[in-house]
Amino acid sequence: MGQTLLIGLDGATFTVLDALMEDGTMPFLGQFVARGTRAVLRSTPNPLTPPAWTSLVTGRGPGMHGIYDFIRSQERDGEMYFTLNNFRDIRSETIWSMASRQGRTVTSLNFPLMAPPPSVAGHVVPGLTSWRHLRRSVHPPGLHERLLAIPGLSFKDMAWDFELEKKAARVVPPEEYESWIRFHIARERHWADVATHLMTTEPSALTAVIFDGADKLQHICWRFLDPALAGTLSSPWERQIRDLCREYFRTLDGHVAALAALAGPESRIFFVSDHGFGPTREVFRVNVWLHQQGYLQWRDTSGLDEAGRASLERRINADFALLEWEKTVAYARTASSNGIYIRVAGDGGASGIPAEEYQPFRDQLVQSLLEIAHPTTGERIVERVMPREEAFPGDSCHMAPDLTLVLRDSGFISIANREPFLEARPEVAGTHRPEGIFIAGGAGLCRGLALPPIEMVDIAPTLLYCLGLPIPEDLEGRVVRDAFEPACLGADPPRRGERTRSPDSLVAASPAAEDADEAKVMNRLKALGYLE
Amino acid sequence: MDKTAHGILARETILGDMVQILTDMTSDWDLGFSGGVGPDTRLIADLGFESIDVVQLVVAIEERFLQRDLPFEKLLMVDGRYVDDLRVAQVVDFLHEHLAA
Repeated sequence: MGQTLLIGLDGATFTVLDALMEDGTMPFLGQFVARGTRAVLRSTPNPLTPPAWTSLVTGRGPGMHGIYDFIRSQERDGEMYFTLNNFRDIRSETIWSMASRQGRTVTSLNFPLMAPPPSVAGHVVPGLTSWRHLRRSVHPPGLHERLLAIPGLSFKDMAWDFELEKKAARVVPPEEYESWIRFHIARERHWADVATHLMTTEPSALTAVIFDGADKLQHICWRFLDPALAGTLSSPWERQIRDLCREYFRTLDGHVAALAALAGPESRIFFVSDHGFGPTREVFRVNVWLHQQGYLQWRDTSGLDEAGRASLERRINADFALLEWEKTVAYARTASSNGIYIRVAGDGGASGIPAEEYQPFRDQLVQSLLEIAHPTTGERIVERVMPREEAFPGDSCHMAPDLTLVLRDSGFISIANREPFLEARPEVAGTHRPEGIFIAGGAGLCRGLALPPIEMVDIAPTLLYCLGLPIPEDLEGRVVRDAFEPACLGADPPRRGERTRSPDSLVAASPAAEDADEAKVMNRLKALGYLE
Repeated sequence: MDKTAHGILARETILGDMVQILTDMTSDWDLGFSGGVGPDTRLIADLGFESIDVVQLVVAIEERFLQRDLPFEKLLMVDGRYVDDLRVAQVVDFLHEHLAA
């Protein structure tokens, strides 16, 4: 059996890739698609990196695995506490564990929330981990030292940088575009070098690596990449940035070509993205709108002393809403969640709407959101509002926002306290779309085929099938059978297997213990509010 | 781990573990700090901790002592405000008080 290679392209969309394959910027990918199978890969209900990649590696939706955002947060005693999600917060078994406990080695590179690293048969180098902590966050111990033998490898340039990440969501000055793009060109080379090194020296049955520069570039450089906007680029500087963006993708194409060659002709190779991308042209400040409707009250900070103002600055810089909780019944916690939380009396705080009024209150709020109209054109701003039980069914549904919004341009909400609640962006930016990419090719896979859209949760079962393993009966997805040749499926039909196993953090908690744990978890979250 | 007759981790044991955690964590941070980590070492002023590093330290402590439920707010907040800095000895005192048998 040949290797299985999964190449994650964070934020990749056929809107951009098709044009780059056609104009010769990505010749390898163009040939691979022509010889393989392609489909739109639909993201999670809120198309965001942590929940989407977690669904990909667990085969479960956020309602089961419990990851909704980069952070987790909870209101307690009139205060909001939050911390970064990590591996211990994932409430479903990952494919790394499913494979390695059944005798298959795995290499997991740059996947978010993989620290502290799980103990698997193979390697884990996590994503979303600062270089200061990357050495201690790899598996197995000692791998860091072995990787340092790679000529030119820089963990500082390869690892996650909290401050740099914030740039992706903000306006970058024109003079920084070039360095921003070049930084990501260099960064991808490091991850490619690590993947190449491990595939060569310590090959695994499944190697999976994420290249996340496409997401970072597209947020800021969308207008340079969207074929529909190509005619708007007129200045030499704009053409220079466009060419530099293409250089990123040209270099990326070289990396994936080299990895595919290393995997060999008997391998199966998959390209996937966590979500797609598209243009966003407006900003919807949902908390400002909620304030205008009487649902939310901003915190009065005029009476704060110097220390209080310093604390306030930290909170504002961390992009979290500062609210008067006693006078707030509905609010958005983060922009990335695209979600609204409803405060129910006694549920985290003393104030809020009475529990018995929750349903009619929520129904009315949904109706009001759907009726928000553009002041000039009268067009609706909010395309869809999903109650949490609809969007995120499962054991972890209670952790989700009460309502998840889909804006008309699929953009993220803003939680800033700045009028007006709706404003056009000064220029087009990039934002996430539900439609990502799936491309498959190699031994036993169909050639030249385009399939209907498939789901994020279908990837884990498909990879398990490639590893010759049964598909746990409780996975939500299915093997993408249509991507495989009939002869392949006939000779080796997918098998159902036993249920997945609970992560260690969920093992053996009695109801009484869970109650006690909940109080302790609250304390822990409170402590981790230091993150602000 | 060395525990007393009452099952409580000895303060010296905790200090040793904390020094080990912090020394390992910061060994490649390019710090100007030249002294070894000890009870009087300050996380921010000496080791250059940022908020994200505090989160990682909490995770490292929980992993080392196999406990996820420590009330760190009592260490990190005083009178409703976050502390400006912490000495290693303060962390050790906190752990000595709160680590379960």
